[in-house]
Amino acid sequence: MSRKIAFALSALVLTFATGVTAAFAGPTRGSTDPGVTSTSILLGTTSPLSGVASAYASVARGADAYFKYVNGRGGVNGRKILDTIVDDAYNPALTVQATRQLVEQDKVFAVFNGLGTEQNLAVRDYLNAQKVPQLFAASGATAFGSETAKYPYTIGLQPSYQAEGWVLGKYLARTQGATKVAVLFQNDDYGADLLNGFKKGIERSRVRIAAAQPYEVTASDVQAQIAKLRSSGANVFAVFATPKFAIQAYVYANKLGWKPKLSLTNAVSSASNVMQLASEGGTNKVVEGSVSIVFLKDPTDPSWKNDAAMRLYRSIMKRYAPSANVDDVYHVYGMAAAWTAVEALRRAGKDLTRDGLVKVVANMNFTGNPFLLPGIGLRTGPGDHFPIEQMVLQRWHKGTWKSFGGIWGYRTA
Amino acid sequence: MSRSRALAPVVAFVVLAVVVAVLPSFVSAFRAQQLAYVAIYLVALLGLNILTGYTGQISLGHGAFMAIGGYTTAILMTDHGVKDVWTIPLAGLVAGIVGFLFGIPALRLSGLYLALATFAVAVSMPAVIKRFEGFTGGGGGINLFGVPELTASLTPVTVLGRELTFNDWIYYLCWTIALVGYVVAWLLVRGRTGRAFRAVRDSESAAQSAGVSLASYKTLAFGVSAAYAGVAGSLFAIATTFVNPDTFPVALSILLLVGVVVGGLGSLAGLIAGAVFIQFLPIWSQEVSKSPGAPAVVSGVVLIALMFVLPMGFAGLVDRLRALTKR
Amino acid sequence: MADFMQQVVAGLASGSIYASLALALVLIHRATGVINFAQGEMATFSTYIAWTLTTNHGWNYWPAFAATLVVSFVGGAAIHQGIIRPNEKGSVLRVVIVTIGLLLALNGLVTLIWSGEVRAVPSPFPTRTIEIAGVAISIQDIGTIGVVLATVVVLWLLFQYTRIGLAMRAAAVNPAEARLVGVRVAWMLSLGWGLAAVLGAISGMLAAPSLFLDPNLMAALLIYAFAAAVLGGIDSPLGAVVGGLTLGVGLNLIGTYVDFVGADLRLPVALLVILVVLLVKPSGIFGKTEVKRV
Repeated sequence: MSRKIAFALSALVLTFATGVTAAFAGPTRGSTDPGVTSTSILLGTTSPLSGVASAYASVARGADAYFKYVNGRGGVNGRKILDTIVDDAYNPALTVQATRQLVEQDKVFAVFNGLGTEQNLAVRDYLNAQKVPQLFAASGATAFGSETAKYPYTIGLQPSYQAEGWVLGKYLARTQGATKVAVLFQNDDYGADLLNGFKKGIERSRVRIAAAQPYEVTASDVQAQIAKLRSSGANVFAVFATPKFAIQAYVYANKLGWKPKLSLTNAVSSASNVMQLASEGGTNKVVEGSVSIVFLKDPTDPSWKNDAAMRLYRSIMKRYAPSANVDDVYHVYGMAAAWTAVEALRRAGKDLTRDGLVKVVANMNFTGNPFLLPGIGLRTGPGDHFPIEQMVLQRWHKGTWKSFGGIWGYRTA
Repeated sequence: MSRSRALAPVVAFVVLAVVVAVLPSFVSAFRAQQLAYVAIYLVALLGLNILTGYTGQISLGHGAFMAIGGYTTAILMTDHGVKDVWTIPLAGLVAGIVGFLFGIPALRLSGLYLALATFAVAVSMPAVIKRFEGFTGGGGGINLFGVPELTASLTPVTVLGRELTFNDWIYYLCWTIALVGYVVAWLLVRGRTGRAFRAVRDSESAAQSAGVSLASYKTLAFGVSAAYAGVAGSLFAIATTFVNPDTFPVALSILLLVGVVVGGLGSLAGLIAGAVFIQFLPIWSQEVSKSPGAPAVVSGVVLIALMFVLPMGFAGLVDRLRALTKR
Repeated sequence: MADFMQQVVAGLASGSIYASLALALVLIHRATGVINFAQGEMATFSTYIAWTLTTNHGWNYWPAFAATLVVSFVGGAAIHQGIIRPNEKGSVLRVVIVTIGLLLALNGLVTLIWSGEVRAVPSPFPTRTIEIAGVAISIQDIGTIGVVLATVVVLWLLFQYTRIGLAMRAAAVNPAEARLVGVRVAWMLSLGWGLAAVLGAISGMLAAPSLFLDPNLMAALLIYAFAAAVLGGIDSPLGAVVGGLTLGVGLNLIGTYVDFVGADLRLPVALLVILVVLLVKPSGIFGKTEVKRV
């Protein structure tokens, strides 16, 4: 009996796999470009549903929930938006295969909100050669906003990591006078970008970097690095790390009795739940007064408790992603991206083409994205494909973030 | 051995070759590209099978040899202007030499200790690649798309009078090499070398007393299997048009061992099923659920279930079918 | 000098965590002859259970801890009986594949149930630090080393002085003969898996308060734990501890004072340790050399 089952199982496996039955060229779509019919627009997203970066899968989830909400209200120019999400396990080789699947098999209109720097870089040439829009790549690597002549179909979204580092550096230079900074940074493009931007920001000032310690994403802990940073005698602590390591960094610094006068946190790790863990129930003095940048509304920030956009966010999450964690700010990022996509699609018109969409997003001047902080707009132009280039400084005080100082801007050039 | 029995594998191979040759006309270009990856995994599995199936040495590190092959190809293409096809044998050679050298100290390890040591190599490879940034492009990797040495990425290539776009080109390239590799492996295990390999696996002391030089056959097996993996890695780089440390993660090494066991150790025919399995399992498991973490659960459960249902892999299934038809 | 000592202290702290997971690996190998690639993921799963009991259900620490250990024990034994045992008769590869399947499934399950967000786990020890000669030492770290050493003593007593321990060793070393003298081999192996799962859970509960909990907590530690176990002797609990502490301190000092290594090559250095030990003295510092029977 088991023999028969085994045979049936493997026969099924092999048949399905060779896909002989699945040969198809795709149904003819209404308009000229693939992925567009009279009733729908098909987008494709690569997302790390499995593996080390699965925490970032919330970005795609938030965007998907927003699209469902928009569809429930009639869609865009009469068309519903369908977003196919494919797992790439954060492996760029799988991103390549998944993206090819989206373009060649699923025939998406555009690739949207793909997550990861390496992951987006791996498919950038292919997408531009195929003239498929690479919309709002979820990565702050400088590469995505520059080289626009070579890669006209590629648009980023979030402020570049360099911009972020620059703002923090400039803030330090302008307000703290002569200081020595100890930096913990992730040993990859992400961390290096932040550090480079920071260095640019402190140019021609009296701020010096006393020590910069890298750590690998595969590390189990950063105790050794923190011990070394503490012994550098710096009085400012810059944490350019992803959440888990940022929390460890703050906790160890406190454990070692290090008392820098100020600490800086990068945006990714500034999510309130991360800071709460780092503050160890409010006892961690290193975290108190930490400065960071922000451009999104954080769901755990009490200042947005009665904000219309945040209420909308919660209701969308409740309806379309009920099992997800509402407090996770990455969902908000996803919705901000989706809002931008909907706005761009709307402006691209009923006669929807890829080139038409690219024209819209390459010359954007959108305001009113409810998920971004008030006053922050989305602007692109020739030579600049970074829609968000503004951010606000915030200070962590007694368990919450408080914005201060107005909007900072940065131009890539 | 009766003539029909001797001919059977040859006939089967010819049938396979014919199917491979005409399949692209029946499937979409995208599917052809997916099948190209099946061929790539098949090449790697052919090599790993020689090591694990025939000489019984467990390796959880063959992804690292693929990485060596892939990076050799990428560096030769971008830094030295070598055309992609010519880098393939070079990649195999470099990986083969490294494998052979690794095989020497590996002689002292057996069973699970060897598995552990090779696992260690696989885990450390991405870090080593990153460290020698000037050479390997570090974390950013090396991009091959649009590079003139890469065939057909931008414009179709003409082969034997036929115009091939990228997907079809890599399909034929990978399957041609896979079929050649298949024949070579078949010849290798058929003859004296193969018997020696099997003797080593079944009982090292018996083999030694029968005059089989353990050391040379074991290291040979390592070198050959690494060379295959290097070729597979080279094809992988060409097909993916991008390499970076994360494209050859530990998961790849694990996947290769899974492919060999699921395919059926010591059997060449089952390996095709193994290659299909490891290419399509991540894709199928997403069809079940896209919730974060769910695809991994499905993959894990399927793997465990397979060991229950098909303990000898798909090759065991083929054997049972053969036993059925003989009666 | 204080900096050097601080690195040593930090190394001892990391090392004790490697040692705790290494103990689970050693136990599994000693009791069943298997290297369990899913050991880390089982430990992570156990730690999440403890987390959810204390955070979502408001349990106090010690009852949650005890419940977690019980669940882990039952889970480990059940996994052995249900999944591993049917595959034991085949080649060692089948067991390896099955443990890999287990690794994938548990890792995915953790993300599926609890998401990838970072969590805090309470510690049984106070989080204060004391300062001695300019070096900060955390009480938590001292407590961790204490628990690890106590575990070694308990294991040693178990194996040397109890009948069950003797039966377990017999079942692992020579199952056929053990059966002849009445040892229920299958149950001994399940017991071994159950105990290893308990050790893994303890390891997770020691690591999580300072490393913080996310699905990859133990995956990052696994290689270091393997290195520690191999260095100390894969059959020796004391070796696991000595190996872990040596590795922790050694990696820290090399990483800090040898510029070529820095942060990026710490992992490969650990692996180099594995390779060198396996080649020079495979039985590790405290292990006995294995004699192969012809």
